[in-house]
Amino acid sequence: MTDKNKQDPRLPDETFEPYEEPRRIPMPVYWIAIALAIWGVVMLVQMSYSTKIGDKERASMSDQEVAATTPVKAEPKPDAGKALFADNCASCHGDAGEGVADAIPPLHASDVVKAGGASAITHIVMRGIGGPLIVDKANYDGEMPSFASVLDDKDIASIANFVASDLNGLKSTVTPAQVAEIRTASADLNPWDGGSGLAGLINGLPAQPASETAPAPSPDAAATAALAMHGTNEIWSCASCHGDKGEGTQTIPRLAGLAPAYLAKQLHDFKEGTRINDSMDYVVKSLSDKQIIELANYYGAMSSPSGARPSLEGDLARGEKIALEGDWTKNVPACFTCHGPSGIGVGDKFPGLAAQQPAYIAHQLAMWQGGSRHNSPLGLMAGIGKSLSDADRRAVADYLASLPPAAANAKLALAVSATTKETSNGQ
Amino acid sequence: MNRYLPLVIVSLAILSFATLLLVIIPGMQIAKSGASPGLKPYTVAEARGRAVYVSMGCLYCHSQQPRDEAQAPDGERGWGRASVSGDYAYDTPHQLGTMRTGPDLMNIGDRLPSQGWQLTHLYQPRAIASWSIMPAYPYLFAHKAKADPGDVVVKLPPAYAPKTGVIVAKQDALDLVSYLQGMKHDYAPPTDGLRDDGYELMAAQQHNNDAAKASK
Repeated sequence: MTDKNKQDPRLPDETFEPYEEPRRIPMPVYWIAIALAIWGVVMLVQMSYSTKIGDKERASMSDQEVAATTPVKAEPKPDAGKALFADNCASCHGDAGEGVADAIPPLHASDVVKAGGASAITHIVMRGIGGPLIVDKANYDGEMPSFASVLDDKDIASIANFVASDLNGLKSTVTPAQVAEIRTASADLNPWDGGSGLAGLINGLPAQPASETAPAPSPDAAATAALAMHGTNEIWSCASCHGDKGEGTQTIPRLAGLAPAYLAKQLHDFKEGTRINDSMDYVVKSLSDKQIIELANYYGAMSSPSGARPSLEGDLARGEKIALEGDWTKNVPACFTCHGPSGIGVGDKFPGLAAQQPAYIAHQLAMWQGGSRHNSPLGLMAGIGKSLSDADRRAVADYLASLPPAAANAKLALAVSATTKETSNGQ
Repeated sequence: MNRYLPLVIVSLAILSFATLLLVIIPGMQIAKSGASPGLKPYTVAEARGRAVYVSMGCLYCHSQQPRDEAQAPDGERGWGRASVSGDYAYDTPHQLGTMRTGPDLMNIGDRLPSQGWQLTHLYQPRAIASWSIMPAYPYLFAHKAKADPGDVVVKLPPAYAPKTGVIVAKQDALDLVSYLQGMKHDYAPPTDGLRDDGYELMAAQQHNNDAAKASK
């Protein structure tokens, strides 16, 4: 609309430029822009909650590590000892420490505790004990696992002081700092060797039976140990993955203290292809039936501290509920119904679960669910695996990792070698 | 299209805003957080092994970034806890990787600690898993008539062993395995460690729903 155009309308317009009147942005565009902005702000707020939850989780993980590694200075409360005793000791020793006749020694008014005091209790809790023992003139011959991996210095001090003062009326106490010293001194030591092992620890110990003399290591036993620790020209050593103490790591299971018959069955299953794992398939191919039984006995008789810690962010309370009571809304029975109290294992069909690696447990449960592991009696575990959600698997795996390991049972090993060694029938 | 100046200014502003939010601020956050307290610097052998890892292009198939339980079942696979920025403090360049053709290797030293296993597997993955698609690395090994003292002999099944002599690991293979064995990030993560927590809220809500259902 310039003056030029108006000068002579007959002339063709050679300088015309197309143009548009300025127009408003359509309203829907504003709406979309506003909606996007609101969505962005909402997402930012939500993400900040997520970050807070993540930070809290990391804080709780590092708190656990700090609690596990540093001795706590504060003097424990007397009530704490009673509660900890109920949680950790009462399932075997009884609510009042009365023990079980012929099976579990009493802790209430016990002559051994009276002679040794809180310090001896700490030593035994830290290392575990196995073999013949005389308490209050009664004979016992059982196994108690080490609780070093389960309880921190403060907890052990509380329990030792509770047993010494409340159950035996002693004045002797230990402080968490003393417990820490005992922990350092006991690291890597085997469980106490029955009553005779305690002789050097406790002054005025009542007469104790002689320890069972360990059988002289046979050439076979030395060969088995060499196989487990060094492997052969063809296969890697057991220890290179399962650890020098058979404690396992991540998806590699703990072997120490599992029933030899169970271990032998699993090795045979790998060999026959009824259980599948590439690395184990490789190894069992060059193991003879005799070697399988000897290795099963070797790891069955091994007693070692727990190498497992809860690490899958599982809900420990939920895991404890599944292990102790099951979840009947999902038709899941309690783990301990079959796998024994505290998951110590029952016979050759139900392996010990206590102190098993959490990633291994969760991984195996997922494999039962998916059907890639299917060698349980009557398909029991397949049904359970299918009923557990991913969070439940992690919860129960983390709970089992928090338990003390089951003590080795040497008697079980002998039975296996007597019945299966000659026949090697692959059961 | 004749107002160039405002156009240039606006586009530069958008670019610099994006650079600030996506590069500069994250860079400052990461620089502030430093190495995780439990992380050890590489030993000489591990550092050499890391150079082998980089030169072999392992990261094209293997990531080094396990995810949180809220995002993936990496913990159940034994791949370890979710990593945080501080876990990579000594990695320049980092080997995060984006592909998981093979498994995550951030905690391979925890998951498969056996030197013997790693050497056999590097020499011939099919010796262990017939279905494996990982390439073999025979040029990291030497075929000798007899092992010299100090040589590490690779354990092989008859089907893959040479007819005569032995296979021994060259220095590169030993260094690479040292590096893999050292990949253990099993310490607790620092509280201020940076990572993607984007799914935590969803996981927490799911958890609460489950708990509510279970209590009914």
